[in-house]
Amino acid sequence: MFKELNPLLHSELRLAVMSLLISVEEADFVYIREQTRATAGNLSVQIDKLNNAGYVKVTKTFKGKMPCTICQITPEGVKAFEEYVEALKSYIGI
Amino acid sequence: MTEKESLQLISQMIQNTQKRVEKNCGTPFLIWGYTTVFISLAIWFLLRETGNYQWNFLWFALPIIGFPATLWVSRKNESMVKNYIDRVVSYVWIVFGVSAFFVSILAMFYRVPILFMVLLLMGMGTALTGMIIRFKVLMIAGFVGLASSVSCLLVKGENLILVFAAIFVIMMIVPGHLLNRAASKK
Repeated sequence: MFKELNPLLHSELRLAVMSLLISVEEADFVYIREQTRATAGNLSVQIDKLNNAGYVKVTKTFKGKMPCTICQITPEGVKAFEEYVEALKSYIGI
Repeated sequence: MTEKESLQLISQMIQNTQKRVEKNCGTPFLIWGYTTVFISLAIWFLLRETGNYQWNFLWFALPIIGFPATLWVSRKNESMVKNYIDRVVSYVWIVFGVSAFFVSILAMFYRVPILFMVLLLMGMGTALTGMIIRFKVLMIAGFVGLASSVSCLLVKGENLILVFAAIFVIMMIVPGHLLNRAASKK
């Protein structure tokens, strides 16, 4: 029986962001952009969607005089990510 | 995106975050290493020349210089990403730093082998950091410092300070430079 894949996570960029954040405590926007090779505009829209879903916490701060956006995965985000991986396993047959 | 592509993407992103050493991560070791060595040599010289034991209060210049300098450098080189290793390493140094400070305060009121204890604590912190970040040179230097701390119980007089400074060169300055070099190569 196949489990349904969470549509919010089953998108390349959003999944990449969640996969990055699951293995770190926090990461700033520039780092995520470098790792995912996404454009700033697209990444910003996708992070907003994850933030609205409660999967990612976004904190806007300053590093010296430069504005800085810090992203952290939330417990809801971790749970959604684990469920997504479980669903993936049912498709691949692990 | 197929299910296999999803899994590949997840594992690739997780792999990307598995950093071990980062640019300038050896700098705190250099700050504390050089500050300790310079202050030790200054105290050794002043004690030898004047014989006035009040010069021992100069040891308190160590945290006065070391803490702000470390904070300033870590803010300047603040990483774009923080993982669990960063958190564990900072906790290790909070515990060992507070312990060393506590022992130093204690030494003002009781007769304790302060240089031996500081070396022992710093050796433990260095070896643990080396193990956590998986940098062998740092780990070995930490254990060397830890083992050599015994020499502070054997050497007597002002020359004890010279031994203390020499161990700090091996335990912090040498691995600090090697750590920075390894990080910039990466």
